[in-house]
Amino acid sequence: MTSPFNRRGFLKATAAGATLATMPGLVQMAQAQNIQPGGTLRLALNITPSVLNPMLSRLNSEYLLGELLYSGLTVLAPDMSAQPDLATEWSANEDATEWRFTLRENAVFSNGQPVTSADVAASFAKLLDPATAAPGSRNLGPISEVVADGDFAVIIRTASPYADLPVALTYPTAKILPASIVEGDFDSLMQTPVGSGPFRMAEYRPDDVAIVERNPDYFIEGQPYLDRVEVKSFPDAAGAAAAMLAGEVDILTEIQPTDYARIADSDGVTGLRSPSGRFLDVVMDCTVEPFNNPKVREALSYCVDREAMVELVAEGYGTPGNDSPVNSAYRYNDDAPLKSYDPERAKTLLAEAGYPDGIEIELIASTRPGYRSAMAVVLREMARPGGFDISVQTMDHPSYLDQVWKKGKFYVGFYNMQPTEGTIFNLLFTSGANWNETRWNNAEFDQLVLEADQTTDEATRADLYAQAQKLMRDEVPALVPCFFDLLGAQADYVENYVQNPRGANYALHTVALAADAPTR
Amino acid sequence: MSATFLLRRIAYLALTALLVSLIVFSVTQLLPANAATMILGEYATDEALTALNAKLGLDDPALVQYGRWLGGVLQGDFGTSLRTGQPVGPTILDALGRSAILAVFSLLLVCVIAIPLGVIAGSRRGGPADLGLSVVSYLGVSLPEFVLATLLLAWLAGPAIGMFPASGYTPFSEDFGDALHHIALPVITLTIILIAHISRMVRSEMVDTLQSDFVRAARLRGLSKRQVIYGHALRNSMLPAITVIALDVGYLIGGVIVVEEVFAFPGIGRQLILAIQNRDLPMLQAGALIMALTYALANLMADLAYAALDKRIQFK
Repeated sequence: MTSPFNRRGFLKATAAGATLATMPGLVQMAQAQNIQPGGTLRLALNITPSVLNPMLSRLNSEYLLGELLYSGLTVLAPDMSAQPDLATEWSANEDATEWRFTLRENAVFSNGQPVTSADVAASFAKLLDPATAAPGSRNLGPISEVVADGDFAVIIRTASPYADLPVALTYPTAKILPASIVEGDFDSLMQTPVGSGPFRMAEYRPDDVAIVERNPDYFIEGQPYLDRVEVKSFPDAAGAAAAMLAGEVDILTEIQPTDYARIADSDGVTGLRSPSGRFLDVVMDCTVEPFNNPKVREALSYCVDREAMVELVAEGYGTPGNDSPVNSAYRYNDDAPLKSYDPERAKTLLAEAGYPDGIEIELIASTRPGYRSAMAVVLREMARPGGFDISVQTMDHPSYLDQVWKKGKFYVGFYNMQPTEGTIFNLLFTSGANWNETRWNNAEFDQLVLEADQTTDEATRADLYAQAQKLMRDEVPALVPCFFDLLGAQADYVENYVQNPRGANYALHTVALAADAPTR
Repeated sequence: MSATFLLRRIAYLALTALLVSLIVFSVTQLLPANAATMILGEYATDEALTALNAKLGLDDPALVQYGRWLGGVLQGDFGTSLRTGQPVGPTILDALGRSAILAVFSLLLVCVIAIPLGVIAGSRRGGPADLGLSVVSYLGVSLPEFVLATLLLAWLAGPAIGMFPASGYTPFSEDFGDALHHIALPVITLTIILIAHISRMVRSEMVDTLQSDFVRAARLRGLSKRQVIYGHALRNSMLPAITVIALDVGYLIGGVIVVEEVFAFPGIGRQLILAIQNRDLPMLQAGALIMALTYALANLMADLAYAALDKRIQFK
């Protein structure tokens, strides 16, 4: 498959942008030449945001609202590095267990109060309190304590060394809220946002539209460029796509692979596509028959034609997976050669494992998103010559969540990209993982990931993550047949919109509209 | 009609509402996954799930949960949506108001179009008008609303014609013209479907009535055909049509689910779909109650209209 996109060129370009951002004078000079502030941006979502409280949000659509209305300490750049948000700079002690973040002094909440270290400390206390039930609070790293250091700096201590802390803090739920609200009427944030983000809520009609307006007190001089953003909810991808084609919206943040070509090819619309670490995996419970035998798992891994998976399941808009959740969208990918499709070898391995007549097994796939069951069916066909007789059972999403996810022995999982290798490994594959659905429990793997978490040396980390990926390829706790590109679209007159491969960041405060935009 | 009749009907209404709420509640207890599971989705850790269940009161016994809900409703408090954290009462009333806009516009259009159509077809039985109506109404009856809605969407809101916005809603208070523009497609869809129902009913009743003795007598007395049709026959043919219209009011409030979903119209149907998908029990209960009551009320209205149109009908 040839991709029209050159990832390295893209990374270089965004890295250059990130460097520029640290020199505000230069950026403003460059922008003054061609950016015209003002106008309304209309953006379509096909999953309606339900939760307005940023600490409780868990969908990309909710992260989008959170990012418009609130700020965190750091923000994730498209190259997966941490960039300043409320914190302007940070440094760690020698063993990366204590970090000091310096805060901006000009940030204010929409209720007029300044953003201070007390707000940061109170926000983290709330976020990490189990009673808050904040989704993803365990993705923030082993934080043990957040304390104020004067009015405009905080010290964050971790229980164990954690080199990725600034990146982990970009997690979309890690927003800074006023201490008075966090400790007082926290539930009011479901109705009334109070944040320091680039925009402020003007109108919110649940399941219909959220309209935000430029925050005149935003801490970055001159931004945001837009006066207004309308975030419109559509019940499904088809509705959002129709609105885009009819010129009723300016940006689609997500497009289904099946719709992409049609939308990207239409007049006045530019398709957006970035390789992403979003993947489907086939989860195998390594503690029960037949998957407690590593040879069975290895055999199945030779039953996957990975390039064909990209074509058949991701419509060509993806990258092949190599049974590790890390791909080229991450910083440390080991670029090992793809596993081959070799059903004969699978048969031999199965025989060695004590299944000379093959294995009959049921694979469960939820109906949401649709390509879960597509992958299950494709795998069924690919694995048949290798001796696997797979029957596919599709299931509605609530039943899947309730009865199969984290419980079943053979099912199709779906995960978004995480900002770091460590986050995705610790989420899914280490013994202490939140969602240790494979129960692989490999001590050597745990140790490699832990060491990588704790070291700040780039080369050592690259080596440790390479070893961890190799271990996953050899032992196959789960099949990762393919990754999905992030697909979107924008009207030609939208300027500066950059897709973030993680899929949860949008940076709309840097987006502008050209002079010919209809909504200026 | 007596006061005891009205009182008895209202008592039935209350009983219906109670039964509906009990049934809906019981059914949701049988569904896999509860609101906490759906809220956390694939972000749930065991601790988060336990904490959220406790916070939402979902770990109490079912009877306690139902009692708590019923107690709130009796005091006029429909609770808080588990999905959005917004109060249920105002949310569902807003949604109902928006659905009512669709319903009123569609019903008005239907009455204005379908009743004369039925009369014309019925009084010129077998003529070209009758034949045309048959074909159109068969189409209307046999096309499921999602097919019709999707066809209209692709045709009139598509990039080629682009006459109407594909979806969404603008409040009338904000921009009257834009609001009309937004409800046009859903209203057209509903109208086409309902025209079929009502015009066919009016037509067949008209055919029967026109063959009855009193119509012949009226003609023989020298009244013009027009006077007979509109002054005598129509009134008698309207009785069954009123039942159908009453049922259609219920349909309009409840059955527009599909149409609202296709056009992303934020009415009560769409609210209910989201509530079911997310196991949002308070919202689901309130929505189901409103729909049940609307049906019941519409039927009561139809009975009252019967009595007004036909003095021989007495309710005791």
